[in-house]
Amino acid sequence: MSNDFAQFQDAFFDEVAEHLAVVEEGLLALEQQPDDRDLLNKIFRSAHSIKGGAGMFGFTAVAQFTHKMETLLDLLRNGQKVVTPVVADLLLKSTDCLKTLIDATKSGASVDDEAVQRLTAELAAESDLKAQAKVERGPSESSSTPSLTSTSTTTFVIDWTPPEWLFRRGLDPLQIMRELRVLGTLGEIVMDQSRLPELTAIDPETCYLSWRMQLTTAKDLKAIEKVFEFVREDSKLSIEEVRGKESGVKSDGASDSTQPLTPHADEGERPKPLGTILVESGVVSPAVLDHALAQQKKVGEILVEQKAVTPQQLEQALQKQKQESSAQAKKTDTASIRVDTGKIDKLINLVGELVITQSMLSDLGSRFEMRQLPVLLERVAQLERNTREIQERVMGIRMLPIGTAFSRFPRLVRDLSAKAGKKIQLVLAGEETELDKTVIESIGDPLTHLVRNSADHGLEPPEERLDNNKPEVGTIRLNAFHEGGNICITVEDDGRGLHRDKILAKAVKQGLIGENDKLADDQIWPLIFKPGFSTAEKITDVSGRGVGMDVVKRNIESLGGTVSIKTATGKGTTFTLKLPLTLAIIEGMTVRVGKETYIVPLLSILESIQPKEGWVKTVVGKGELMNVRGTYLPLIRLYDVFGLEPEYRTPTDAILLILETEGERVAVMVDEILGQQQVVIKSMEQNFRKVEGIAGATILGDGTVGFILDVRGVLEIARRGVPVAA
Amino acid sequence: MGKTALVVDDSRTMRQMVSFTLTNAGFTVIEAEDGKDAVKKVAGGPKMDIVVTDLNMPEMDGITLIKELRKMSAFQFTPILMLTTESAMDKKQEGKAAGATGWIVKPFNPDVLLKTIAKVMPA
Ligand SMILES: [Mg+2]
Repeated sequence: MSNDFAQFQDAFFDEVAEHLAVVEEGLLALEQQPDDRDLLNKIFRSAHSIKGGAGMFGFTAVAQFTHKMETLLDLLRNGQKVVTPVVADLLLKSTDCLKTLIDATKSGASVDDEAVQRLTAELAAESDLKAQAKVERGPSESSSTPSLTSTSTTTFVIDWTPPEWLFRRGLDPLQIMRELRVLGTLGEIVMDQSRLPELTAIDPETCYLSWRMQLTTAKDLKAIEKVFEFVREDSKLSIEEVRGKESGVKSDGASDSTQPLTPHADEGERPKPLGTILVESGVVSPAVLDHALAQQKKVGEILVEQKAVTPQQLEQALQKQKQESSAQAKKTDTASIRVDTGKIDKLINLVGELVITQSMLSDLGSRFEMRQLPVLLERVAQLERNTREIQERVMGIRMLPIGTAFSRFPRLVRDLSAKAGKKIQLVLAGEETELDKTVIESIGDPLTHLVRNSADHGLEPPEERLDNNKPEVGTIRLNAFHEGGNICITVEDDGRGLHRDKILAKAVKQGLIGENDKLADDQIWPLIFKPGFSTAEKITDVSGRGVGMDVVKRNIESLGGTVSIKTATGKGTTFTLKLPLTLAIIEGMTVRVGKETYIVPLLSILESIQPKEGWVKTVVGKGELMNVRGTYLPLIRLYDVFGLEPEYRTPTDAILLILETEGERVAVMVDEILGQQQVVIKSMEQNFRKVEGIAGATILGDGTVGFILDVRGVLEIARRGVPVAA
Repeated sequence: MGKTALVVDDSRTMRQMVSFTLTNAGFTVIEAEDGKDAVKKVAGGPKMDIVVTDLNMPEMDGITLIKELRKMSAFQFTPILMLTTESAMDKKQEGKAAGATGWIVKPFNPDVLLKTIAKVMPA
């Protein structure tokens, strides 16, 4: 029956993500106000909820690790310990580790046990007030092997005969044992069933059993007695310390985290690894065991040595394993979305209205007379309203506040400022702005890169800022807001701004522009988005590891968006990302070429114009150029690209669309502009096959299929000069 | 007449799981996300047959909630179960002193939950 709760796993993972954000944000804020008790309580509660939930689903490793964090947090919130930078840092690292553990639990992938064990030990050490008091008094004796902390522990033998009424009061002996396990390592448990009567005489609600348990713990007798507090009356209980050999090795729960991270890992205890048994019985020392384990070969290596498989086969198999685990991770990533019940209720109401409209229409249709035409038209208009509203609301379900994408930045900026030795303040605004879940998931990386770029290149070191009469602390501001049918996200810094001459020099060196090219400012800034361009003298650790701004631009454009730059020397730089609210719908201009209809994404259109006589020039090696008010733009005849029969071949008869993609401008020639409309994108790959120059298809109002232009693709086809095979 | 239950927990998933189990067992469930929310939802309103509450919650914690409920005449004799974790032993005692009828230790399964409830509810 315990599987009943399995259906709540997705909901749990969603909740955990929220708690993790609370923990992380809380810990960061704590660095500013270390004795904020409310904040500590809040962080504690989130950790506590993660632990509680993880326990419910049998995610033992997560529950145990969170328990260690919770223990330390409890000491902090009770004032028994103070929040030092060391403690805050440890907790932040532990939060990262917990995230990894949770992701692994989700996807069934493996985790870095070493990191889990090391942090588990560190958390335990920080939480051990007694040991710390000792450290303060004298030199530390703590062992250097972190996963095997040796503390002074005692082994107790506990004999317990519970009262007969145990079950009748809803108590479970197993709970007592679990609580004992929290105190230390619960060794052998022997059950005495001698008092069990014959089957026919058994009263199922009476407890006939008793237990003998061995517990190795750093805690004292009182702590053990406390576990039995509620069952003490009528229990027979004896707790005795075992004298003699001291079992000094305690794995501190870490050995449990090496269990496979599958749900319900605690169904049936796994036998202890041989090594653990040998160490515990004193046959080998932990160091000897570690050494032996380090020499252990992986099964793949052994098979290769035995020539059972070739290294290539092994590599392929490993590759496959990797792909499968990442595919799995992806699957769970997009598995669920949490929707406000209000949104669903509204949608149900709308569907109700739609059903009413539909029944009115079919009623009208069954006995229609011409004089009812105005009624029919009115009903159809109503149907249209219903449909549009439902469409909007359904899209709205996928909308989430952008705050989820912003939440990673406080931590990032903290780490960046520490690494770069700069003082940086992060200001977030517009976190509640909603956009499509898919877009949110895809903008994380480009945004991260821009923030890194601002922290690393934009903002000056404190001394330089002071020299320039600027506040010592630099500011990075992230803002999101709606504008028209789009969302704008700005990444703004008050740093040194882009350096015109440096960019020009670099662009000339890279051969991106000619030495004598005269460029206006707004033509210079986009140069930093060119592949291979980077003005940084060296690629530092924090600046994105060699990933250039061109990747940012490409990412944003693949989402149907644009990036623009505003900069003022000495004052700062602002990057503005403009993105569609959803990837499922685009705002497009419908155009006609011959008998075909194409949709051009509105975001890439700068303007449409009727060309005049004498605008076209043919330049050897560059093809046809269009002189648009003094600027020469490459001319692309769309019918050439797709191999169609157009209505007009003379540019002055046709219409030009000036399009921009990746900072490049082109003039695209079409027969006619039909209008502007929102279209729902249908994937070409899923429904047909990928066609170059086409981003997708849509069903137009008259039921025919229209193709959505992939502007970049069209440009490339035109450059090659070969039409696409139909 | 169907039985009614008040389920209080700040963890959404936990709340859902308890509600789900109780609803399947024929209870009409009122959910609250913390003590304050719970008091607001039952003040002068419905009489409950059972209360299941978490202890660690923002705004008003479980212990305070139990005390508050016991002050209300409608909750004088209502069985109240605390949801607690195994490590919080002293909390159980505090809860008992505040007026809790019993407790359920997290993690639990639906069976344990229902059995414990059956035990503390008057027949
Ligand atoms: Mg709670």
